[in-house]
Amino acid sequence: MIDFSHVTKTFPTGEVVLDDVSFTVNPGEFVCITGKSGVGKTTLGRLLIRDLSPTKGTVKIDGEDLALMKTRDIPRLRRKIGFVFQDYKIILDKTVAENITYALEIAGYDSKKIPARIDQLLHLVDIPGKGDLFPSQLSGGELQRASIARAIAADPPILFADEPTGNLDKETSLEIFNLLKKINEAGTTVIMATHDVTIINFHHARHIHLEKGKIAFDRENIKSQNVEEEVKEQPSPKDDEVKIIHKKRKIKKIKK
Amino acid sequence: MQTAFKNIRRSPYQALSAIFVVSITMFIVAMFALVSVASQEILLTFETKPQIIAYLKDGHTPDQVNELLTQLSTTQGVKKAIYISKQDALELYKESVGNDPMLLGTVTDWGIVTADILPASVEITAQTPKSFNSISSVLERSEIVSTTPQGKKEIDFPQDVVAELTKWTNAIRVAGLIMVAALTLVSILTIVIIISMKISGRKLEITTLKLLGARNFYIIKPYIQESFLYGVSGALIGWLTAYIALLYSTPFLSPRIGTIITFPVPFIIMLILLGGMLTFSAALALVSGFFASTRFVKRSK
Repeated sequence: MIDFSHVTKTFPTGEVVLDDVSFTVNPGEFVCITGKSGVGKTTLGRLLIRDLSPTKGTVKIDGEDLALMKTRDIPRLRRKIGFVFQDYKIILDKTVAENITYALEIAGYDSKKIPARIDQLLHLVDIPGKGDLFPSQLSGGELQRASIARAIAADPPILFADEPTGNLDKETSLEIFNLLKKINEAGTTVIMATHDVTIINFHHARHIHLEKGKIAFDRENIKSQNVEEEVKEQPSPKDDEVKIIHKKRKIKKIKK
Repeated sequence: MQTAFKNIRRSPYQALSAIFVVSITMFIVAMFALVSVASQEILLTFETKPQIIAYLKDGHTPDQVNELLTQLSTTQGVKKAIYISKQDALELYKESVGNDPMLLGTVTDWGIVTADILPASVEITAQTPKSFNSISSVLERSEIVSTTPQGKKEIDFPQDVVAELTKWTNAIRVAGLIMVAALTLVSILTIVIIISMKISGRKLEITTLKLLGARNFYIIKPYIQESFLYGVSGALIGWLTAYIALLYSTPFLSPRIGTIITFPVPFIIMLILLGGMLTFSAALALVSGFFASTRFVKRSK
């Protein structure tokens, strides 16, 4: 279980990015964290992998307070969490397979089993046969899929995806979202940070919305019947349009 | 190791410069080691020979010889004093010239060399060069030590040669050690700089690996292996160059010091030298690689 308790994060510049944020994520949950850029979504992820420490409050994973964790134990923590970075952080002079190999080697995967596992992962993220390509030879969507493949390579119990649909078109975003859902259905706890609420508003998922470093709401969304069509039809909403979309969905439901 | 080889292939000029510097260091180390061993052998040869020889007048009596030997044995700093009779001198002469008929006089106008034409002597080995003066004064006072037409006592002092040799050997050792130390430092710095450059060029990769949960050792391992390869290659090239140089100089050295040192130098000696050089350069490279990579990785998050 992931537990953020009264977490405040102030950067050295004095900027308060997170302000008394508390929530828990149970094993196997799918949680979407939304909010404008700079609202603290990425900071939550960085706190989760102890890339940052909270100024106040505690972050616990399975009861272990990350702030009290010894430096030498941080790699162990990070191996428990698959991280899909906003900027992919795919190593550019390594092939897709080599990038995934890194994650597997770090997790202590048997080197003989690595090629088979890479094949399996590439099929799972739907870029089979692209293992020998370099990142520059991949499209944005494929790069994101490679990034996800690397994050889930060692079967981590938790996956944090930071803006996984950030630079993608609607159709590809939906595919990536569905891929994350698929990973979640396999038992992985998935936390997805995104500013794009279009997709998540039509899915059954827990939705935590951040505003000015605080939790504005934390609720369950109910899955819409014709998600894919609706998403494709929807223009990309601005954050202040989120409420309007919700209203429309309510009206549709009432009409049905 | 694969990653280390890849790193080398990706920046071959950096790798070449590192290997070049280590090779020069190792070549100097090899030459220094060979010269040190050779000079030690030469020194040993001279040291085991008598250091002072006093030639005796003909017609001396055994009592006079015994008196002189007693005097010498009670003199401070005398390690050993032995009497070499005319007959002993002839045997030593024959031993030193072998069966050369020219030198034995069998085919010369001088006739066959006999014990009569050789002087008897007293050979003294001193404990330290400092005791040379007291030994010399005892010999100067002795009546049985022969005198030159100029009135000087006939005393040979090969000690001077040993002292000179010791001086040169020590000078070579000091100069060699200073040179090896300086080149070792240059090698360490070169490897540190090259590895640091490579690591800083892969800063993003290292950060990513750390975020993926890589331990520091996993990150630094390829860099340490890379510097190890520099060290081993440098040692092999340095050793090979030194060996080739030695083989080429064998025709020059053999007639000069061939009686003291065996030429060509036995291969087993060269193998021992290679072992030592590999150990030394591997240690040098590992320390440099470890220092460069750990310094950087510890700084990154």
